Amino acid sequence: MLDDYLKANLANWDEAVGVHVNSEMYDIAGFKAGKTSLHQIEIDELGPSVHEGTTLLHLQCHFGLDTLSWARRGAVVTGVDFSGEGVATARGLADEVGLSARATFVKSDVLALPDSLQSRFDVVFTSWGALIWIGDLERWAQVVAHFLKPGGVFYIAEFHPYVFLLADDSSRDSLRIGYPYFMHGGPQRFDEPDDYADREARMQHTVTFEWNHGFGEILDPLLRSGLRFEFLHEFPHTIVGLPFPFLELCEDGLQRVKGHHDDFPLSFSLKMIKEG
Amino acid sequence: MTDPIPAEARAANLRLWNAWTRVHERSSYYDVEGFKAGATSLHPLELEELGALVREGTTLLHLQCHFGMDTLSWARLGADVVGLDLSDEAIRLARRLTDEVGLSRRAEFVCADLYDADAHLGSRLFDIVFVSWGAIEWLPDLERWAGIIARHLAPGGTFYMAEIHPFAGGLDEVPGEHDVRVKYRLLPAPDQPDVEPVEGSYADRCADTTGLVAYGWAHSFAEILGALTGAGLRVEHLHEFPTSPAPFWDWMVQDEARWWWLPDGEGGLREDLPLSFSIRATKPAG
Repeated sequence: MLDDYLKANLANWDEAVGVHVNSEMYDIAGFKAGKTSLHQIEIDELGPSVHEGTTLLHLQCHFGLDTLSWARRGAVVTGVDFSGEGVATARGLADEVGLSARATFVKSDVLALPDSLQSRFDVVFTSWGALIWIGDLERWAQVVAHFLKPGGVFYIAEFHPYVFLLADDSSRDSLRIGYPYFMHGGPQRFDEPDDYADREARMQHTVTFEWNHGFGEILDPLLRSGLRFEFLHEFPHTIVGLPFPFLELCEDGLQRVKGHHDDFPLSFSLKMIKEG
Repeated sequence: MTDPIPAEARAANLRLWNAWTRVHERSSYYDVEGFKAGATSLHPLELEELGALVREGTTLLHLQCHFGMDTLSWARLGADVVGLDLSDEAIRLARRLTDEVGLSRRAEFVCADLYDADAHLGSRLFDIVFVSWGAIEWLPDLERWAGIIARHLAPGGTFYMAEIHPFAGGLDEVPGEHDVRVKYRLLPAPDQPDVEPVEGSYADRCADTTGLVAYGWAHSFAEILGALTGAGLRVEHLHEFPTSPAPFWDWMVQDEARWWWLPDGEGGLREDLPLSFSIRATKPAG
């Protein structure tokens, strides 16, 4: 069953790479010209932990823009993604921008990563739309802890679990519940022809399986894996990337819920430290 | 330090809790007679998650204890307890109950606003600080709350709270349906209390509460965990549950373990939404 979910999601992501490299959202030309793909929040909150020579593992790195942006800031990076297309594109980009000496990309499912990677890292990083693809956060947390050196930092910036609850037809006056917070019955199945980075795209591999995860489900396995809680932040805005009709793009380039600009959380960040 | 609770809010909430105490003493929800006959008022959740740490002589501080049944239930399990609450009527009732069930050697009750706790507790330290069900919604400032908890925990001591989920705090019923939607803020705003006329009580929906108003504050996990961590505590667990200890609306359904559920409209119970949570945190030893 898990393999079927993984297979469908992989087909979707392999195809999405081709769409994303030409998308405005990912802006590869800008990246090649020197722009960082990281958002202010990651730079503000994780940046102080990344110095010249810091080793950084980026889980679910897609085609590596964020991974390489950390490398540009001095880190020696390893990006991991389950999509062969993503990893191949990432390696090509690393060559083009002259970062191949400090960037390695590994094709692997996150949960199987200990089979193919031996190193330990100062920082484990993951972000934006990563957790919905992981069915087993217990195992995931063990993988995070496994790859951290003692004293190492885990950091995630993510979409808030509450936003995935709202019904598609929610409006500013009526925020209805359409999806579960607790996923006792396995993942949600979606079948959508377009793509979050290109609403005009028409995908061949349209079926995906996604999990919402509550804070207990995220935090508890990390605590059990030997990580110490450092901070959780919640924000009433998010980076662009959620295609929901009840959101709107604000002048500062962030999305907020229509009519709820300061009271509905749309993203969170979490930092934890592996016990020394 | 200035009181983080505005004077009119403090007065309104005190009036409300005194009125609710009179209602609750006679309510089947609180079942004071059952308690006197020996029943615990604690849920299996608190007993399971905190009970193992409560032994003969364990010292326990119960903040916002209402009229003390949970406090005294811990005392019955061997703890030496102090309960603190803002309502003078609740504290009077708690003391009366203490005498009636013969626990006066191991139970003490303090009438004080939460933010005045230090003045009443001095430098006393406890093995456990306990908070439960509908407490923090009455507090605008969780940093000061967490500071009080940390100051009165002994090194190596445990803080435990079981509470209504921040998400549930933002829900309202959909008019005419047995369903919920998000209506209230889901992020904290210490200077924007939610001011609502009170209709009955969670323990007795038909109680006459004419003229009473509640001042409440929204909270979030980032705020709660940040406050506890900022006060020097170490987070041990965060658990979430699809159940509540009290009904939010009269169409919710109770199970045999006294938990209230949202019905799924097909005769079953909804397990998809978070209605409560528990946190355990410890104060580092030494």
